[in-house]
Amino acid sequence: MKYWLNLYRANLRVAIANMLQYRFTILIWAVWGFVGPLISLAVWSAASAARGGTIVNKTTGASFAAGDFAAYFLVYMIFGHLMMSWDAFEFASRVQNGGLSPALLKPVHPIHRDAASNIAFKLTTSAMLLPVWALLFVMLKPHITLNAFSLLAIPALVLGAMLRYVLQYTLALAAFWTTRVDAINQLYNTLDSFLAGRIAPISLMPAWIAGFALYSPFRAMGSFPVELALGRVPAEQILPGFALQSVWLCVAILLLRALWTAGIKQYSSVGA
Amino acid sequence: MRYLRLLKVLYRTSIQTDMEYRADFFTRILASLLGLVATVGGLAITYGYTTSLKGWTYPQVLVLVAVYYVMDGLTEMFIAPNMRNVMTQVREGTLDFVLLKPVSAQFLASFRSMVVWRAANVLVGIGLTAYSVGRLGAHIGLTQALSFAITMAAGCAVVYSLWLVLVTLTFWFVRVDNIEQIVWQGFEAARYPIEIYPSWLRGALTYAVPVAFIITIPAQALSGRSGHMPLFVACLVGILSLTASSLFWKHGLKSYTGASS
Repeated sequence: MKYWLNLYRANLRVAIANMLQYRFTILIWAVWGFVGPLISLAVWSAASAARGGTIVNKTTGASFAAGDFAAYFLVYMIFGHLMMSWDAFEFASRVQNGGLSPALLKPVHPIHRDAASNIAFKLTTSAMLLPVWALLFVMLKPHITLNAFSLLAIPALVLGAMLRYVLQYTLALAAFWTTRVDAINQLYNTLDSFLAGRIAPISLMPAWIAGFALYSPFRAMGSFPVELALGRVPAEQILPGFALQSVWLCVAILLLRALWTAGIKQYSSVGA
Repeated sequence: MRYLRLLKVLYRTSIQTDMEYRADFFTRILASLLGLVATVGGLAITYGYTTSLKGWTYPQVLVLVAVYYVMDGLTEMFIAPNMRNVMTQVREGTLDFVLLKPVSAQFLASFRSMVVWRAANVLVGIGLTAYSVGRLGAHIGLTQALSFAITMAAGCAVVYSLWLVLVTLTFWFVRVDNIEQIVWQGFEAARYPIEIYPSWLRGALTYAVPVAFIITIPAQALSGRSGHMPLFVACLVGILSLTASSLFWKHGLKSYTGASS
């Protein structure tokens, strides 16, 4: 345990120093996270304005007023930032140009260094973005209703972040077998935008998509913590939600281990 | 004439290179279609609750998305790869070799090559255009088609100018990846009608990153939404931006220090 703590502390220190060196660049990067939720918010605000202020799903009874949309997408923006992961994009180029080789020589699995750099990114950028988030809350006037279970969003957020990280890392391993990871990443993105409730709250989606979403890993690492924070998850569904997160996390870890062992045999490093 | 011949040679070599990677085309088409599913599916969900978004009906918004795809595809096919290449050349000093050639440096720098398989987005965009115009149910007359062609051409001119200005900035700042990112973020917002955004953002999307000229106005011309902008204004903006960016490039070139100095 102490070994791992020391390992992560050292890696984190290096990663944070790295991030601070490129302050402006990582900030621009982080602002990408604003674009999606704000566009979705604009679309749904326009839609709710056209419907006299409130959108109601007649089959599920879910209802969103303009302020509810603002709350949903603003919280999503922050939680989405804290759960983000970009390894799938970087890993492919590391396999292709052989950059992975030196990392393999180290006595620890490369995922730990990458995870530390992921955490460092979130720590540094969150500190920088905090005033911007606060400003957006003042400007967009979200209607936030907390309930007794809202605090449970924190563990859900941590589980969701871990799940997304491990799952994306697993996906990134596809680069061991094919150089065409674009289509795979795009498939992941498309599924994510629906099943994680990024383009619309899941309770407003057609029943068949919502049905898929409820059991998919995407909601578990997407809108589940957001809905929990805003008190939109019924009490009897909270425990199953956490169970689903944990089950998917275990599946993802097992899958990662299996694929890593197989992939590393496949890897013929360039230039080595 | 000489430039057209040159263009033919340059593009032929590009096509020959890309033919080595034919399977890339299917990856691109697949990725492009999946991206389309996300955008159109999301809009379909929203339009399940309302018939109009700030005056845009569902088929009209589909036209907008289609124009976005075509423009994005054309940019990634003809303009962006060259411009990114110039940015590297400025940084590494290899732009010297471009400047030494006995043709216009701006021409050679901006039309050096094309990426054939990026046509996937253009094809998907054209397909969606056909489908959405069909859904509009309106008859596309000659005037409408003509004004669409003119506004599209003006839009291409604006995209090109925007990239040229971006590239020219590298003569002073060396690295502009960050500014490029900001431009892309503006572009991303343009696949939806800009009317849905708050007024300050609408202003930025019209004048700072002029996606209104690039995407909204051609889409309006095709879908028959009476644009607020007469045709000649679009033309004027296209020509002015070309001239201004070209002058800016010439001015910037003076600050280029080259490899040896």
